[in-house]
Amino acid sequence: MGRLEEKVAFVTAAGGAIAGATARLFAAEGAAVACVDIVEENVKKTASDIEAAGGKAIAIVCDVNDEEAVKAAIDQTVSAFGKLNVVFNAAAFTDPLLPLHELDVDLWRKTFDVNITGMFIVTKYAIPHMLNAGSGSFINISSIYGARAAKKRPAYCSSKGAVRMLSKSVAVDYAEHNIRANSILPGPIETPRLLVANKNMDDVINRHRPHLPAARLGQPEEIAKTAVFLASDESSFMSGNDCFVDGAYNAI
Amino acid sequence: MGRLEGKVAFVTASGGAIAGATARLFGAEGAAVCCVDIVEENVNQTAADINAAGCKAFALTCDVTNDDAVKAAVDKTVTEYGKLDVCFNAAAYSEKRHRLADMPVDMWKSVIDVNLTGMFIVARHVIPQMQAAGGGSIINVSSIYGVVGAKERPAYCAAKGGVRMLSKSIAVDYAVDNIRANSIMPGPIETPRLLARNPSIEAIIERHGPRLHQKRLGKPEEIAQTALFLASDDASFTSGADMVVDAAYTAF
Ligand SMILES: NC(=O)c1ccc[n+]([C@@H]2O[C@H](COP(=O)([O-])OP(=O)(O)OC[C@H]3O[C@@H](n4cnc5c(N)ncnc54)[C@H](O)[C@@H]3O)[C@@H](O)[C@H]2O)c1
Ligand SMILES: NC(=O)c1ccc[n+]([C@@H]2O[C@H](COP(=O)([O-])OP(=O)(O)OC[C@H]3O[C@@H](n4cnc5c(N)ncnc54)[C@H](O)[C@@H]3O)[C@@H](O)[C@H]2O)c1
Repeated sequence: MGRLEEKVAFVTAAGGAIAGATARLFAAEGAAVACVDIVEENVKKTASDIEAAGGKAIAIVCDVNDEEAVKAAIDQTVSAFGKLNVVFNAAAFTDPLLPLHELDVDLWRKTFDVNITGMFIVTKYAIPHMLNAGSGSFINISSIYGARAAKKRPAYCSSKGAVRMLSKSVAVDYAEHNIRANSILPGPIETPRLLVANKNMDDVINRHRPHLPAARLGQPEEIAKTAVFLASDESSFMSGNDCFVDGAYNAI
Repeated sequence: MGRLEGKVAFVTASGGAIAGATARLFGAEGAAVCCVDIVEENVNQTAADINAAGCKAFALTCDVTNDDAVKAAVDKTVTEYGKLDVCFNAAAYSEKRHRLADMPVDMWKSVIDVNLTGMFIVARHVIPQMQAAGGGSIINVSSIYGVVGAKERPAYCAAKGGVRMLSKSIAVDYAVDNIRANSIMPGPIETPRLLARNPSIEAIIERHGPRLHQKRLGKPEEIAQTALFLASDDASFTSGADMVVDAAYTAF
């Protein structure tokens, strides 16, 4: 018996590393998964991997910042699988490394559009279906950079701080309807995204000293396993929490 | 296959509600459990329940503030089951409500001794065993009152805040040994401990007002499920984290 049997999940950024691993694990635990991403090729790959493993999935190409597209994607999910119980929100813009005074207003807006406004839009259209279903769980990907500042990433850090408070706001407003919302704050996870700002993975570990006391990066699957816990009924009294999955990064 | 198959757990306060539920769940998920409490009758009952369900456990009567007794209990566990991988710490003193100036120094000392120093003493003896086992997971029960203040409970709040930082300190120092340490902050949980301080469940819910959004208390099993996640390898990159299990109580 899977831990997410009978549940329907909507996973944004599922063409990417962390949300891709999460979509796969959700399906392996029995959920039907709508895999959503702006990059068609990658999201199709995630959905076809799930189907090849005997799981249920559909791929939807959608920009989370496009209200009409999100509405259609959620409708498509509910038409395909009958309901919606779990949303995993992970889309993020690849922002440039720049100190604040050198950052164009357009790039600031773009970061906020994808990282937080996109999350608002997805949440807005998912909630009515969760109200129908009588319960639901939102899992929103913040970052340790929603708690600690990274150098030259003013927009990213601000948007990830906003994710934490969006989750808490949803948690407080919809608790009476049995809808939960939590953030995950991953530490550095071994993903292609990290190589945008670093030469290689050893460079990442060195750059973060002394913050990675185990001297290793996390794996996308370690975030996915946390997401399964938050998606499942095992976390039924857990809402509004900041789940740090960071190898004690934030403890030092 | 249980999620803790092959693991050995040391569970303090397991004559009590929350740690008792945790010991039972750990046993059901395949761990061999050493149940520890200062009250013999209750801890014997927990171990007997686990055995009756066909799972592995034994009971030890031990005061967690007694360094020699804790050492003996840890040694006994390792003699019995060959190693020690997981430690759940939940012993707490039941003090009377006082504002600080009215609290007798002895009462303060008892609270700090059981709630905080006891966790230090247990950690001090389980860590070498975890090092020998190649890793481990320490789960310390703090409280939402380690994050926000409670009325007339200065010692409890101070001790529970201390627990939170104790976990982070262990997480940082022992990451190199593959030992993880996390805190759980339960909101109000339906337990005899809570009922002893209040006339009825309804009165508790009433007293907590709008922060208990669902107008219900948590169940010991909902804390046990969080402990199971932290004890298992699913939480392999989770260390130094504060797992607030409070249905958005402190998000508000
Ligand atoms: N990798 C890390 O170390 C790390 C650490 C902390 C937090 N995070 C967060 O985890 C999440 C996933 O990151 P990842 O490392 O898997 O990155 P990734 O780049 O592999 O995945 C991000 C995905 O988001 C998609 N996307 C971008 N804009 C979109 C839009 N407008 N609509 C729909 N999809 C869009 C991309 O196509 C990509 O597939 C992000 O929110 C990131 O901020 C990552
Ligand atoms: N019940 C709640 O609402 C709630 C909320 C937040 C945190 N907590 C925490 O959860 C933990 C468990 O609480 P509970 O509600 O199950 O309480 P409980 O009273 O049922 O359990 C506490 C247990 O600790 C044992 N104990 C006390 N002193 C000891 C000592 N010196 N050595 C060994 N054992 C000792 C007691 O015998 C008892 O069995 C406590 O740390 C408590 O502070 C409880």
